[in-house]
Amino acid sequence: MLQGINMVGDFEWEVPVGYVPNMRVPGRFFLSRALAETLEEGAVRQLANVATLPGIVKYSLAMPDIHWGYGFPIGGVAAFDMTDGVVSPGGVGFDINCGVRLITTPLKEADLAGKKRELIERLFSAVPTGVGGKSAMRVSNKELAAVMVDGARWAVERGLGTAADLVRCEEEGAMPGADPEAVSAKARQRGGPQVGTLGAGNHFLEVQVAKEIVDPEAAKVFGITEGQVCFMVHCGSRGLGHQVATDHIRVLEGALGKYRIEVPDRQLACAPLDSAEGRAYYGGMVCAANYAWANRQVIMHEARKVFSGFFEIDYDEMRLVYDVAHNVAKFEHHDVNGVSTEVCVHRKGATRAFGPGSPGIPREYAAIGQPVIIPGSMGTSSFLLHGTATAMQKTWGSTCHGAGRVLSRSKAKKEFRGRELREHLAEEGIVVRAHSDLALAEEAPEVYKPSREVVRVVHEAGLSGIVARLEPLGVIKG
Amino acid sequence: MSFEELDHTADVLVRVRGATIAELFAEAGRAMFHVMYGPCEDRGIERQVTLEAENPETLLIDLLSELLFVTDVENIVFCTFDVDIQGTRLSAALKGEPFDPVRHSAGSLIKGVSYFGLEIVKDEESYVVDIIFDI
Repeated sequence: MLQGINMVGDFEWEVPVGYVPNMRVPGRFFLSRALAETLEEGAVRQLANVATLPGIVKYSLAMPDIHWGYGFPIGGVAAFDMTDGVVSPGGVGFDINCGVRLITTPLKEADLAGKKRELIERLFSAVPTGVGGKSAMRVSNKELAAVMVDGARWAVERGLGTAADLVRCEEEGAMPGADPEAVSAKARQRGGPQVGTLGAGNHFLEVQVAKEIVDPEAAKVFGITEGQVCFMVHCGSRGLGHQVATDHIRVLEGALGKYRIEVPDRQLACAPLDSAEGRAYYGGMVCAANYAWANRQVIMHEARKVFSGFFEIDYDEMRLVYDVAHNVAKFEHHDVNGVSTEVCVHRKGATRAFGPGSPGIPREYAAIGQPVIIPGSMGTSSFLLHGTATAMQKTWGSTCHGAGRVLSRSKAKKEFRGRELREHLAEEGIVVRAHSDLALAEEAPEVYKPSREVVRVVHEAGLSGIVARLEPLGVIKG
Repeated sequence: MSFEELDHTADVLVRVRGATIAELFAEAGRAMFHVMYGPCEDRGIERQVTLEAENPETLLIDLLSELLFVTDVENIVFCTFDVDIQGTRLSAALKGEPFDPVRHSAGSLIKGVSYFGLEIVKDEESYVVDIIFDI
């Protein structure tokens, strides 16, 4: 175990002020003793670095999938005071509003017998994937501005989904505060041809079966039953989001001196929330977040069409359970020393997990808390959870976002062969379709922490409650 | 001179070496395209980039970010990088080929170039820089 860190609860650890110079608040992270064995010193240092930023409130936090990134650690969460605080692209990441959505179907696993391979092929044809994957859609510059403001609503208004879909998205699929002027011509040029594309890396579209219902009452409210075939979409804001982040980090890095902000890592470049540079980043980031919601909406629409045509089921029978963002900064109201206070919450590789009765979650889910979707790594279980009151108290209503890597990509490539992995998964009944076997090796299940353990920790720590476990049947990857 | 991939659990960390600053920048470009696409060859596509930045580290990030932009919108894979640096100004002549999904799908899409830990240092033989790519 790392030196200088104190266990302050069953799954809660504190990084005291002084762990790195100039910390304004302590750090807190959530891990089991078993997972603590894999914790990297670099990740703790990054958690402590975040605690040096101006206006940080209470703690610099990290979820159980904490690992070493750049700027914030992955799994990092921090809230900033609206008057004295800052906004930092290092607390969001390059893939703004990378996120996940889960959709149920009326099918049972047996309905896919003998058809799984064909289904996956059809999905692979319908959804552009991988490096260079371009959309068949033609989105004009004028329309792109609408995508950046209206998000998923833009897609639904074009007939790519239903009004009910919007209610079941975080922020109803479009955050307020978009400023298209803060999105460069370069970002637009990248974003135009990529609406409705999955991208590469760990992004995927996966067909799953709800294998285990853990909380029947919550499952009923979320509309998911045991044995039901579902699908999950995991992707973000593509080149547009990457360019928005790149452009604004450059500006904010140059403005550090102007605002007399000292950061221990240039990737933590930031500006006061109430500054021209801070407002511009936030407005641009919102545009990219909305683009990502539109992107996932279009991909879901294409997948629904495939299911509908192949299995002769109605489009409307495929119900969106929820869509969550896991790389974003937002203005939210939280309890600060007993007073409801607006703060700017950054979540980098962390999921919002608002508890029962919280504002901003669909009325139909109000009694349970918002759905939280945790994708598994390739070939492993994904989980549906619900938000909790404990998360509201301890983590600004946040929980983990995934499993968290434990093995580098370069080592993964040496240890695993993509083709063998694909064949091994096929033996387990999981069909994998990707452009490259080599890319598969990087995402082998063994390179991640066991998702069950990460999810167990957030459940035991009370940050969210497990509702259902989903197992993969087939996946398309970038 | 050379580049090598070091261990980094979440992203890709490369250590790049060059006899001169200009060579270091050229190697960094080569490293980035190798991470993204694997092997590549010159098939007659040429582009020119000119940039200006207040310090070499920012100039390097600007160059790599510009290359990410060009490859994303034009689907070009670059393999040779002829870099000239005069003070704060950089010009680079790039050569490469069109993206081919069959030959160029061995790598990882890079989302951005991180400032984290990026510092150009000079050891006994060469200039060295560690770069983290977000993928």
